[in-house]
Amino acid sequence: MAKKADQTASFMVRFNQKIFEESGESKVQWRGKISHVQGGDEQNFIDFNDALSFMQKKLAELTKEATKDKTSDQQEGILKKSLYMWKTIAQTGPKVIMDTLKDPKKQLTQIQDQIQGQISHLGDEIGEKVQIDQWRNASRSDFKKVKKSISELADEIKKLNAKIDSISKKK
Amino acid sequence: MSQLLNKLQEFKTFQENAPIRIQTLGQFRLWRNTEKVDTKEWVRDKTVQLLQYLISNRQRHALHKEKIMDHLWEDGDDRDFKVALHGVNKVLEPERPSRTEPTYVVRQGVSYQLDLEKIWIDVEALEKYVIIGNEALGTDNLIAKTAYKYAIELYQGIYLPNRVYEDWSSEEREKIQMLILGAYTTLSEILLDENPIESIRLAQSALSIDPTWEDAYRLQMQGYLVKGNRPQAIKTYQKCVTILEEEYGIDPLPETKKLIREIEEIN
Repeated sequence: MAKKADQTASFMVRFNQKIFEESGESKVQWRGKISHVQGGDEQNFIDFNDALSFMQKKLAELTKEATKDKTSDQQEGILKKSLYMWKTIAQTGPKVIMDTLKDPKKQLTQIQDQIQGQISHLGDEIGEKVQIDQWRNASRSDFKKVKKSISELADEIKKLNAKIDSISKKK
Repeated sequence: MSQLLNKLQEFKTFQENAPIRIQTLGQFRLWRNTEKVDTKEWVRDKTVQLLQYLISNRQRHALHKEKIMDHLWEDGDDRDFKVALHGVNKVLEPERPSRTEPTYVVRQGVSYQLDLEKIWIDVEALEKYVIIGNEALGTDNLIAKTAYKYAIELYQGIYLPNRVYEDWSSEEREKIQMLILGAYTTLSEILLDENPIESIRLAQSALSIDPTWEDAYRLQMQGYLVKGNRPQAIKTYQKCVTILEEEYGIDPLPETKKLIREIEEIN
C-alpha cells in the first residue's frame, strides 16, 4: 500500500486583488498564485481555470504514480475515474491530460492546429501546414512567441491588403 | 499611543528575557535560558517535528492528540506520540522533576498547546510587531517604523525551510510571507522621502520574496525618482513590465503606467 504522504496533494492558493480605474470605468483584477506543497512547484494565474489545470495535472501525476505497476488500460481507467471529480471543467483539462498520457505528440498537434487556424486567416497562399513536430522540446513561451509573431504577421498582411485595395481603387 | 509604545517595549523585553526562545525563520533553532540547544539533544526528528507542529498550530487552542498523530505519523500509535512528547518536554525543561506537570506544553485531557506567555517564538513576535505597526500607521509613524523594523529584523528567511513539503507548515509560511511583504512595502513607503535608499532596499527585499509584487516596483521607481536617478526608475518599470508579462500575461496597473509617464516627462 502506498504511503499516506504519497496519496496526498495539498495546494496553497493566494489571491491578490487589484481594483483600479481605466477609461473611466472601475475594474477589478485577481492575481493568483497556486503552490503544490509536496512538490514545491508553483504557478501564477489570472484565469482561475489555469489554477484548476495546475491542480488537475498534479493529481493526475499522483494517480499515475500510484498506478504505475498496472497495465496501461487499467491505468487509463483509474485515471478517468480520478478525473471524474473535475466534471465541471471536464471539457478541457482532463481531455488534454488523457490525450497527453496516451499520446504526448497529440497535445503538440493540438497547438499545431491552433496555429494553423490562425494562419488560415491569412489566406490560402500561405496556408501550408507549418511543420513543428521537431519542436517537441520547445517551451510554452516558445509557442507563445510563435503565436505572437504570427499575429503580428497577420496584422502586417492586413495593412498590406488595405494598401493594395486603396491603390486598386485609385486606379 | 503610549499604550502601543508600552506594548512594543514589553514584546522586546520578552524577546530578550524569555526562558525559551525559538527561531523558525530561515532555520530552526532553540535557546534555553540564553543557551542554544544542540541538535543532538533532540535525538529524533519526530520530536522536532512535534514541536514545530505545535508552533504552526499555536493559535488553535488545544490540539487533539489524534489530530496531531494523523498529521505527523503514517501509522503512529500512542507510544510514538508519548515518546515524541517526552522528547519535546525533555529538551524544553531537562531538569523537570518526574511526575510534575510540564511548564511549556500545556495538556488539557488529550489536547495539547504551547504556553505562549512563557515561550518566545519569532513568528509570533513578528505578527505582533506588524499588528502594532499597522495600528500606529498614520497616527504615529515613529512607532509604526520601529514596529515594522523589529518585524523585519526577525525575518531571516522562509518559515521552517526544511519542512516546505509538509502541508501542516504551509499555512503559517504563507501567512508570514504576506505579513512580511506588507511590512517591507509599508515601511518602504514611510521612508520614501526621508531615506530613499533604504526605501529602495526594502522594496527590493519584497521583490526577492515575490517578483510580481507590483507595489514594490512602484515604490522602487519613486525611490529612484527622489534620488534623481531617472534612468534606474525607467529600468525598474521595464523590469516590472517584463515580469508581469511573463508571469501573468498582463500589463502593469494604470497607477504604475501613470507614474512612468510622469517620470518620462521630467527633463
